[in-house]
Amino acid sequence: MRTIGKALGAMLMLAGLSLPAAAQDRLVIAGRDAGFAPALAKMVELYQAKNPSVKIERLELGGGPLYERLAVGAREKTAATDVAMLDDIWAPEFMARGWLTDLGTVGGLPGEFVKSAMDVSRHDGKLYAAPFVGNIAMFAYRKDLLAKHGFERPKTWSDVVKAAQVIQDKEQGVSGLVFRGIKGNPIVTSFLPVLWAHGGDVVSADGKAVLDTPAAEKALTQFLSFKALAPKGVETYNATELRDAIQQGRAAIAVEMWSSWAGTLDGSASKVANQVEVVATPGEVKGPAPMLGAWLLAIPADSPNKARAADFIRFVTSPENQKLIALETGNPPTLTALFNDKDLVAKYRWYPAQLEALNVAQARPRISQWARVETILGDYLQLALIGQLQPKQALTEANAQITRALTR
Amino acid sequence: MTASRRLLPWLLLTPALLIFAGLTLYPLGRTLALSLFATDYGFENAKFVGLENFQELWDSRFFRQAVTNTVVFTVVATVLEVAAGLGLALLLNRAFPGRTLVMTLLLAPFVLSTMVVTAIWRAWFHFDLGFLNNLLRAIGLPGVPWLFDPNLALWSIVLVDLWQTAPFAFLIIFAGLRLIPQDVYEAARVDGAGPWRRFRDMTLPLLAPYLFVAALLRSVDSFKLFDKVYAMTGGGPGQATETVSMFVYRQGFRFFDIGLASAAAVVMIVVAGLLAVVYAASLLKGAGR
Repeated sequence: MRTIGKALGAMLMLAGLSLPAAAQDRLVIAGRDAGFAPALAKMVELYQAKNPSVKIERLELGGGPLYERLAVGAREKTAATDVAMLDDIWAPEFMARGWLTDLGTVGGLPGEFVKSAMDVSRHDGKLYAAPFVGNIAMFAYRKDLLAKHGFERPKTWSDVVKAAQVIQDKEQGVSGLVFRGIKGNPIVTSFLPVLWAHGGDVVSADGKAVLDTPAAEKALTQFLSFKALAPKGVETYNATELRDAIQQGRAAIAVEMWSSWAGTLDGSASKVANQVEVVATPGEVKGPAPMLGAWLLAIPADSPNKARAADFIRFVTSPENQKLIALETGNPPTLTALFNDKDLVAKYRWYPAQLEALNVAQARPRISQWARVETILGDYLQLALIGQLQPKQALTEANAQITRALTR
Repeated sequence: MTASRRLLPWLLLTPALLIFAGLTLYPLGRTLALSLFATDYGFENAKFVGLENFQELWDSRFFRQAVTNTVVFTVVATVLEVAAGLGLALLLNRAFPGRTLVMTLLLAPFVLSTMVVTAIWRAWFHFDLGFLNNLLRAIGLPGVPWLFDPNLALWSIVLVDLWQTAPFAFLIIFAGLRLIPQDVYEAARVDGAGPWRRFRDMTLPLLAPYLFVAALLRSVDSFKLFDKVYAMTGGGPGQATETVSMFVYRQGFRFFDIGLASAAAVVMIVVAGLLAVVYAASLLKGAGR
């Protein structure tokens, strides 16, 4: 009995001794799945090779589950994550609630980053996140088909509708355009550049719901007219379906083409290699308003390994690694100089145009309730898209719901 | 009877009652209490609002639609799955060459994870490229908007559920069928009872407890429908496939509006409780017979 007691005591002592060391040498990285995962996986592999004593755990999650994990972890103070990959639309909530570490306190972040991506990483003058993926909603069109039917690059959404209608009428088996119609974030991100181009907005600068305006109604009416020009079933289209429709030549215009999706446009899987032009989104009564969709890396405030996490973030956002990520995985960088790097431009011919778009990019409203506002808007946009609500009714009801959400 | 003898049953029951109280009664009570508050996930700034959350649910077109969808799905999916399970059990109860292979293929969907099942069916439902529409077009019929027609989307999900879980109902009913003594049928045959009569007057009554268990388990599972909808339609198009589970999840874990999510959960518990009462009453009636 005494022997067992001694053995247990020794085990407990060893466990106790090993805890601090384990905490120091551990790095838990929670990041996105799909197209973003290979970039973080590559960085973990390289960082691990340089720091073999660090035990790195990388989690790969979809957008929704990642948000939930990070938000619940922050609320519960679980100290379970050291590096968090954040969508820029989540950042205002995380920063305002004090859930992130001020990067200035852990050595800062060198490098000249794209201004719009840097802006969404700051709060009250402090830097809380590092711009990791310079994603932006671009616009893509088949230059061969538009030229064939006498159209130039569409400058307005009205031009887009005209060109799409002619192509749909005259090209067998080709839809005029394609967009993401599935409810939630996808349909909202498809709609926002149209809304902004019409001079509308979801939430005003002073934080009020402003969807019940004539500008918003015009924008929604135009957006709904896209459905007749899109493939059947566009109500269920997400990124995969949209990319397939363009790459397989089944649609002539993509209302949105996120730069991280565009990497394979000229690849061997594409039936339209070198025929798709990727440019900033069109305007309408206002100039183009390409939407920023940057992904950031941040350190949760309760991370037990802040210094190590900061070191990893600096490693990932270094010029050589940002270039490597872009070349190997197609994730666009956030360092300004890389958009004119000759190797990168040789592979991604639209990078200079993308930098221009990034410089004028519009971020989604910087409010901590955006996740809820976006869901409400997505629900009503879909009800309008499937014809269950008229545009005005959809916007009025959405506005009332968003007003309520903003006060909670 | 001495006092200690009277206390003994309670003493023996105490651990189970404590576990029941901790794992069931406490969460139920807490959910009920939270449904009366406007409160965030961290329970910061909780404000007592009485029945306001329930009023909001009543006013919400989305919640009303979610309740309707959930009830319709539960009833239709359960009836179809039990009927399909019964049909399959009757077919496979006869010996024929290749029966083992057919049974293996039949059970395969049930052992697949729901995410795999939904990935397969999403591909099959694709309007332009999907296997189902290609099949229809091959025989000269037009393609069906399986998931994007708001009038059809919920039925498409019923179809997926039927494909995946009818084998489960089949397993229960088939087990019951194998336990029916064959001499009862032989006696009936001797008495001149035809196949329909034997099915109606013998098979069905003798299978009733198994059909009941299959219906009970399938309806409880269908009532919680979440994963298939989440993966296939996200609740759309519009609100055509939104369920109460999805509504609760979204309010609780996307918006962290714990008060409203708790109120919706209470409504769900009440409906599920009514179902349970019906089942329990039937069970007790059966046991007392």
